Amino acid sequence: MQEDNNTIERLVLIELMRLDGVILGLTLGLVCGFGIFLATNILLLKGGVGTHLALLGHFFIGYTVTFGGSLIGLLYGLLFGFIVGYVIASLYNRVANFREKRQSRNG
Amino acid sequence: MEQKQTRQVVIIGGGPAGLTAGYELTKLDVQPVVLEQNDKVGGLARTENYKDYHFDLGGHRFFTKSEPVNQMWHEVLSSDFLRRPRLSRIYYQDKFFFYPLKIWNTLSSLGLWQAILIVMSFMRWQIFPFKKEETYEQWVTNRFGKRLFEIFFKAYTEKVWGIPCSELKAEWAVQRIKNLSFTSALMSMFVRTGDSITTLIEEFHYPRFGPGMLWNEVKHRIEERGGQVLLNSQVTRIHRNGACVDYVAVSKNGGEEYVIPGTDFISSMPISEFVKKLDPVPVDVLEAANRLNYRDFLTVCLIVNKTELFPDNWIYIHEPDVKVGRIQNFKNWSPDMVPDPSTTSLGLEYFCTEGDALWNMSDADLIELGKRELERIGLAEAGDVVDGCVFRVPKAYPIYDADYANYLQIIRDFVDGLENFQTIGRNGLHRYNNQDHSMITGMLAVRNLMFGEENELWSVNADAEYHEEIRHDEKQKSVETLKEKITHIFPRLDPVALGLSFGITAGTLIFAATLFLIIMDGGKAGPHLAALGNFVPGFTVTFQGSVVGLLGLFILGFFVGSIFAYVRNLVVLLSARIIHRDIELYHLRRLFDFI
Repeated sequence: MQEDNNTIERLVLIELMRLDGVILGLTLGLVCGFGIFLATNILLLKGGVGTHLALLGHFFIGYTVTFGGSLIGLLYGLLFGFIVGYVIASLYNRVANFREKRQSRNG
Repeated sequence: MEQKQTRQVVIIGGGPAGLTAGYELTKLDVQPVVLEQNDKVGGLARTENYKDYHFDLGGHRFFTKSEPVNQMWHEVLSSDFLRRPRLSRIYYQDKFFFYPLKIWNTLSSLGLWQAILIVMSFMRWQIFPFKKEETYEQWVTNRFGKRLFEIFFKAYTEKVWGIPCSELKAEWAVQRIKNLSFTSALMSMFVRTGDSITTLIEEFHYPRFGPGMLWNEVKHRIEERGGQVLLNSQVTRIHRNGACVDYVAVSKNGGEEYVIPGTDFISSMPISEFVKKLDPVPVDVLEAANRLNYRDFLTVCLIVNKTELFPDNWIYIHEPDVKVGRIQNFKNWSPDMVPDPSTTSLGLEYFCTEGDALWNMSDADLIELGKRELERIGLAEAGDVVDGCVFRVPKAYPIYDADYANYLQIIRDFVDGLENFQTIGRNGLHRYNNQDHSMITGMLAVRNLMFGEENELWSVNADAEYHEEIRHDEKQKSVETLKEKITHIFPRLDPVALGLSFGITAGTLIFAATLFLIIMDGGKAGPHLAALGNFVPGFTVTFQGSVVGLLGLFILGFFVGSIFAYVRNLVVLLSARIIHRDIELYHLRRLFDFI
């Protein structure tokens, strides 16, 4: 079995993964956007004032804990998440490329 | 064309490999001479006939992933090629278990207490396996646990091989289940096999009167096209002149020898026999040939005066206190195997070694033994058996013992040096080939001969089931392509790169957010953001604090990213191993199908 496992290790986790900036951006954007949208509307349904969530308005200009605000938050979340995801993927790919090149240079 | 006319091809052996080679040659206008020592063709896949009852020695299901083989079967048998349902079970401790093993059927049939012990044993061997897997016992125990091994693998395997499982090399099982390499295991997933595997489990093809029907028809067609198939013709000597074989000496019905010259020779006779009959032969090669061993078996055929006995095609007998290893119910293979539908014909298979007590037992004693054991198992009353006969099959299985590979290599090196000779088939290659694999070796040998191809016959075996028809270079290419695909499917996340990207993003975000608050908001939301200081010591909503936040979140992000990547890679590796283990177990559960 030792030999088999070595065989597995020779086949999997060999190639370095690259992240797709658009896909990761969209994923994070959707999660953030709908996260804010849902959180805001849940607070509204429960009848809470949502003072903590309202602090998001400091960063997302125009956002409030209202239904209209939840839509604005959705858009901000989408944009923010997309940028963060895209940046993470780009940085990851750059560092991974750099490290791979360095590794191949060093044999 | 001139080349074809001047070729005189001699084929030694009228089994699946030899006859397939002969059949292919006649299609290319070459008329070979096929020499068969028995009174009928088919070799290890022959069908014996006793009072119009047909007995398939060993039971040969017809299935293949090789299209040329499949085509040939259909071409020769046409509407006589039946599609039959399959049922096989294991008999153990007066109970029947579905085979291939079904976990819930197995556990429920064994009872609650035994089931608990099996599960505990399985877990114990998963946690503390044998460190080395040299023997069959260690190999199976590490996968199923000791208890399941003892119930379902030990007794039957020891019957088949006649040696304790603790002495049987793990290699046998490894080769038989064929998919041990992770590449081929995954190949079985990605090169779609699921449907065909399901089919193989539930049904199979079968000639109306057994495999002998196929081989008789092939013989007929070879003869129709000008070839010769000589029965009762034993090759007694093979003459070598330098690197070429120039003739074989043949004795018909034990009579005087006569010589058949040839330009090319293809042999499916046991490779050890070939070497012993070769003249001259190097001493070391002869010595190696003497070291190759075989396992034999005999079938006690019983005719029972009952319309129906049991629904299975065959039953594996794991019960250690009877000698019979497997029972075939030929009527369930094909109804035409039996001339009188009110009777049933059974084949009780006993694994033995030529010359041992069982092999030497008289036919009458063997029939009595068969009757007794049949009654002991409870499948039929001894009194219902109305007739019987015995057929012995020498050299049925090449034995993979400790040193066989070294000896085989010596022979192979020598044989490969013979310019006009090719060895094919199960015993010709001393390889555990199925009927279809043997046929492929025959086909490839003809391609080597007629088209100058360099197909590697020694590598055609159960392991190569997924790419049998592909030439060596193409096969290599497809394996390489698959490996490439697997590396694409299971790539690695770079922990450092992900850590850095998380760290930089998180640090920059907190830095920017802090500055944004200071500039835009005069620090009104500061107290809330300042709560981050609980996690990043020294962080405040100030310019200095933003720098501290940058560093703190960078470090935190780096750890989170790196750990995420490590964990994700670990999960991928574990998943790959689980997939491999699942496929391995899947094949192991059907191990006996390959015997």
